[in-house]
Amino acid sequence: MNHKARRGRGQRRNGIVHWQGRASAVWSRAMEKLLSVRALERRYGEHLALAAVDLRLTRGEVLGLLGPNGAGKTTCLQILSGNLAPTAGEVRVLGVDLVRAPLRAKRNIGYLPERPPLYPDMRVDEYLDYCARLHRVSRRRRADAVSRAKSRCGLAEAGRRPLAKLSKGYRQRVGIAQAILHEPDLVILDEPTEGLDPVQIREVRDLIRDLAATCGVILSSHILPEVQAVCSKVVILSDGRVLHQARLDEDAPGLGRFRVKLLRAPPLPVLTALPGVASAQSLGADSFRVTLRPGEAPAQLARLLVEQGCGLMELVPDGTDLERVFFDILGGEQAA
Amino acid sequence: MILTIARRELQAGLLSPLGWVLLAANQLILAWMFLRVLERFSGLEAANRSAGLTMELSLNLFSFAAALALLSVPLLSMRMLSGEFREGTFSLLGAAPVSLGEILLGKFFGLAALVTLMGLLPLLMTLGLAVTADLDLGLLTAATLGLWLTGLMFAAVGLFASSLSAQPGLAAVVAYGVLVLLSVVSRTGVAGSEATTLFDWLSWNEHLFWFLLGVVRASDLLYFGLFTGFFLALAHRRLANRRLG
Repeated sequence: MNHKARRGRGQRRNGIVHWQGRASAVWSRAMEKLLSVRALERRYGEHLALAAVDLRLTRGEVLGLLGPNGAGKTTCLQILSGNLAPTAGEVRVLGVDLVRAPLRAKRNIGYLPERPPLYPDMRVDEYLDYCARLHRVSRRRRADAVSRAKSRCGLAEAGRRPLAKLSKGYRQRVGIAQAILHEPDLVILDEPTEGLDPVQIREVRDLIRDLAATCGVILSSHILPEVQAVCSKVVILSDGRVLHQARLDEDAPGLGRFRVKLLRAPPLPVLTALPGVASAQSLGADSFRVTLRPGEAPAQLARLLVEQGCGLMELVPDGTDLERVFFDILGGEQAA
Repeated sequence: MILTIARRELQAGLLSPLGWVLLAANQLILAWMFLRVLERFSGLEAANRSAGLTMELSLNLFSFAAALALLSVPLLSMRMLSGEFREGTFSLLGAAPVSLGEILLGKFFGLAALVTLMGLLPLLMTLGLAVTADLDLGLLTAATLGLWLTGLMFAAVGLFASSLSAQPGLAAVVAYGVLVLLSVVSRTGVAGSEATTLFDWLSWNEHLFWFLLGVVRASDLLYFGLFTGFFLALAHRRLANRRLG
């Protein structure tokens, strides 16, 4: 009863936060701390799969774990879901220690593993009912919870279908329905859009945004645009370590910073000397990063470059810090 | 929570063809054995009969049913945990607010229900004779109890084997290995002899034998209870270690 009352307040408070937008730092500090991970470490024998991972998540946030395959994303999410014990470190879900009091902590967690955990011999309704029982949804609320989860995941018509006959997209939907049907405060999704077609990907993204209105979501992906599309916070993992953490609303493209590609590139000083250009930096034989003085328009730069006869091929806003870090990792991987 | 999981396992067992095929095969073989015992018994002169009908059935049919259970139970149990590991469905249970003990007991009770169905087959056949023959119901009860307890112990061994790997086939082979070892470990070769060594005590058939004679001894009850608990505890240990990786 106590728990329910608390949850009700959280949602109302959260509703306000939702309307005011994510940027309000004051509100986010006031919000409940859903997940706090400190100095998480995981070893497999000698192999260090995860080291010194710190994460924070509050209600209304979507945290993206980004990294190439084998970076430790799945290991991290398995630990957060309680399927794997950490070698060292602390995981708290709504203040409850996941290692010391796993049953109490897990009541607030919904988890979609990399492969949706479906029993092929069951039908959708049967399966979701079983999951609701496992998550200790009371008998009174069970039918309601199942039908709500089904309608949120676009499964309203699929109740009688056997899980063995479902397409990949539907299997994923059932997997997500299973993770959210007990209305957990923390939803953990391991590569939720992996292998889906573009329409399905959009549906899943909408669902995640919808979920974030009432709870915290943590998801993993190795695709950058995927994370940029839905997440409010991102953590880049590589070789089990956190390389970069950022809030995406702060990670705006550098204002007045552009990448230009020229057919007949002039020497760097010529470019720097152009009116309105604050600085320029060479990125290769024909590419430059150009920073404009405040108030200067890129159209002006384009006109000047054309007038100089540089053969302007490309003029694009420069990427964000996040993009640079991510592509640096990928570059490093490919070079290795 | 234990019941939820047990119900799910029972349902899965009854929905899969394997469960029914095993049940049918058991019934067919037992029926053959039953008829053979009856034929031999009714063919004998009264003077040559060394034991009553119920005792003949108990020593032949019920002990044979135990041997069949040794073959069938590992096939029923092999997928219970290793199949979940292989299909990745164990993470559903692992992320739910359910303890490993509850998961294990749920699986065990589901399996126990299937074993119970199988263990009742010889009793049902024998009761068919109740109309025409004078049966010793006490002996039948003891024999069925012994068979049931043996089946439960096999189920615990099977679950433990299933917790070892993500390969159901391997789990079945390990279960067979353990159960056959526990069958042949007795050194005397004569069941029911009084002076039992440790090795005799370890083998399940020594203990089942007393039930088949109609003797329910506390030490035999203790043996089955102990071994069932022991293998379940090993399986629990194994699941906990799996989480530690």
